[in-house]
Amino acid sequence: MNRQIILIGLNHRTAGVDVREKFALTDVENFEQGLMAHCPVLECMALSTCNRVEIIAVAKNVSKREVVDSIIQYWAAICKGDPELLLDNTYNYSGLEAVKHVFSVASSLDSMVMGEPQILGQLKDAYRAAVAKGTAKTIVNRLLHKSFSVAKRIRTETAIASSAVSISFAAVELARKIFGDLEGTKAMLVGAGEMAELAATHLLRNGVQDVIIANRTLSRAKELADSLGGEPIQIENMSDRLHEVDIVISSTGSPVAVIKAKDVKSVLKRRKNKPMFFIDIAVPRDIDPDVNILDNVYLYDIDDLKEVVEDNMAQRQEEAAKARTVVDLETDTFGNWLHSLNLQPTIVDLVEKTEDVAHRELNKTLKKIGQVDERTRKALETLVLSVAHKSMHEPICFLKRRTQEEGSAERFIDLARRMFNLDDESIPAEAHLDRKSNTCSAEDINDLIEASKNKEQ
Amino acid sequence: MGLFDTLHIFIIALYALGTVLFLTGITTGNEKLKRIAIWLAVVGFSLNTIDLGIILTSDPTALSGGTFYFNILAWSVLAIYFFLWWRLRLEFLAITALPLALLLFVSSMALGGIRVIMPPQLTALFFGLHIGTLVLTLGALMMALGAGVAFIYYNRKLKTKAGLASMGSAVPSLDKFDTVNRWAVAIGFPLYTLGLFSTFFWYWIAPNKEFTWDIMKIGSLAVWFLYAFLFHQRIVLGWRGRKPAILAIWVFVGMCISLIHHTITFRVMP
Repeated sequence: MNRQIILIGLNHRTAGVDVREKFALTDVENFEQGLMAHCPVLECMALSTCNRVEIIAVAKNVSKREVVDSIIQYWAAICKGDPELLLDNTYNYSGLEAVKHVFSVASSLDSMVMGEPQILGQLKDAYRAAVAKGTAKTIVNRLLHKSFSVAKRIRTETAIASSAVSISFAAVELARKIFGDLEGTKAMLVGAGEMAELAATHLLRNGVQDVIIANRTLSRAKELADSLGGEPIQIENMSDRLHEVDIVISSTGSPVAVIKAKDVKSVLKRRKNKPMFFIDIAVPRDIDPDVNILDNVYLYDIDDLKEVVEDNMAQRQEEAAKARTVVDLETDTFGNWLHSLNLQPTIVDLVEKTEDVAHRELNKTLKKIGQVDERTRKALETLVLSVAHKSMHEPICFLKRRTQEEGSAERFIDLARRMFNLDDESIPAEAHLDRKSNTCSAEDINDLIEASKNKEQ
Repeated sequence: MGLFDTLHIFIIALYALGTVLFLTGITTGNEKLKRIAIWLAVVGFSLNTIDLGIILTSDPTALSGGTFYFNILAWSVLAIYFFLWWRLRLEFLAITALPLALLLFVSSMALGGIRVIMPPQLTALFFGLHIGTLVLTLGALMMALGAGVAFIYYNRKLKTKAGLASMGSAVPSLDKFDTVNRWAVAIGFPLYTLGLFSTFFWYWIAPNKEFTWDIMKIGSLAVWFLYAFLFHQRIVLGWRGRKPAILAIWVFVGMCISLIHHTITFRVMP
């Protein structure tokens, strides 16, 4: 039985944007079905984003070279590209190296912006599509589920995603450090540049209640107000409305400062010293740097924001080391599970589990009946072990029979392992919420058995 | 060792463990440790409440004895902290509340033998108005101290843009720290005024007592003027942020000096 996991992919590091464009998969679902039909694979899943394409496959009983070649040929043919060019720009991993790569991708350790959350959502979507098309089976199922839990664990246990790494997110984060909850705050855009629009969009999404758009051309301000839902005003009226807002994002093309420290001083008086946050993303700067000297006023220009982003990136790099340790550990655990998909370890685990149950029940009974001589104890032990082994006879024969069939071995072994909980897995609290009412405590199961017996009688 | 002593040891151990765990949690960014520390403080606070209850039920004259005011102070610091935790989700201020509660509780043990003589007349009224209000004011000012120091520190970071990465998501916003200051001023100042002027009132109605100005009373009044200035600037003129934070720290320092002075003065009284 060969169940080698093979991963072939390209990303922003191995391929330029022209190659990524060329070999991007536009119809992933049909691609997966085509792979199943034309390549020696038992299961597969493909992910295609602007920065990467990842193809995960479980190979049939053939050499890795043969599988990789056939996938490359098929992929190049679908994208109408040169297989040689594709091969030069891809990487491929097999076995646990492939598993480790999937975990790293899901945890965003391999992303262009490390720690960004989008990749996990994209991976989940790709997985759902593969399940719907029936190309993701036992191993890909398990691999992807595990990769989601690894990503979650890394997000919880490390600070890899805790700080902003884009200018607009950095602005939102800084605003939160000043105002806390942004609910009820008001912002003003001075100038209607693209970057200011992006920052305003982020602020609005994060709770800012209202936005005033002050621009030299009122029609552009109106246009932006329509898309953002704010109020357009002429830039000349800005100073009359400045006291109403908590956050100011400025991005005009003015060669001189449009907001001066002495103006802000009088605005602060009108606001009774309520704090103000100025974000100046214009070059040359729009806001007099002396504004930052005033109490309760915070001014960040584009260089300051870039520095914040760089600091956060450096912090993420430090956290990545911790995350990689988690990935290594989880890869080993997955390797153990993969190994257990052989029939022999599963039989050993099954027998051990039933023997363990038999011994526990024997000890309980011995405690109840009190002191017994060694011969009686031995006889009782033989009895319970014999019952345990005999009860496993049929399930083991069934597994042996089904694992002879092509492609179904992993499914039945995995099912048996889950049914008998051979991997001691705990079910997450949020899992199977729709079936929550059916509890599985020892008492519940005993009651169920008793009720079933009574019904039969 | 009796049950009473065991209870005290438990309270000290809980406050100390809570302090250590919270500080470790803050430095390592471990949320679980911080949560455990808070729950230890909750248990410690409950035992502290029981302890105060036992003292008062076993000896109702304890109030006039005045040997356990630091104990009450430790209790009130945590009571005000839990109030802020509930209202503002300000877990962070445990960084001030827990070490201060520990320090005050240990001090109450160390000063157990010192008897602060209180006037025998009007004990309930005197305690309610004078000690009660002052203890609450001091508790509020302790929280304002923590919030003020944190505000100045993080405000500087935001202004200078230096080391912002260390300002993780666990650190509350400047606005929350400022809210603590606003409450400490808006509630603390009227309480302090009531506490202070109840003493003058007591001099007026108590028989055989004549009011004379001394350094102790002048000191208390100076603190009141400083507090009144802060109240006026904050509530009337709308001061916010750094200036009231600094002023609240000075008011707290003034109150501490006044408290120590009071303790020393009462110790030497016949």
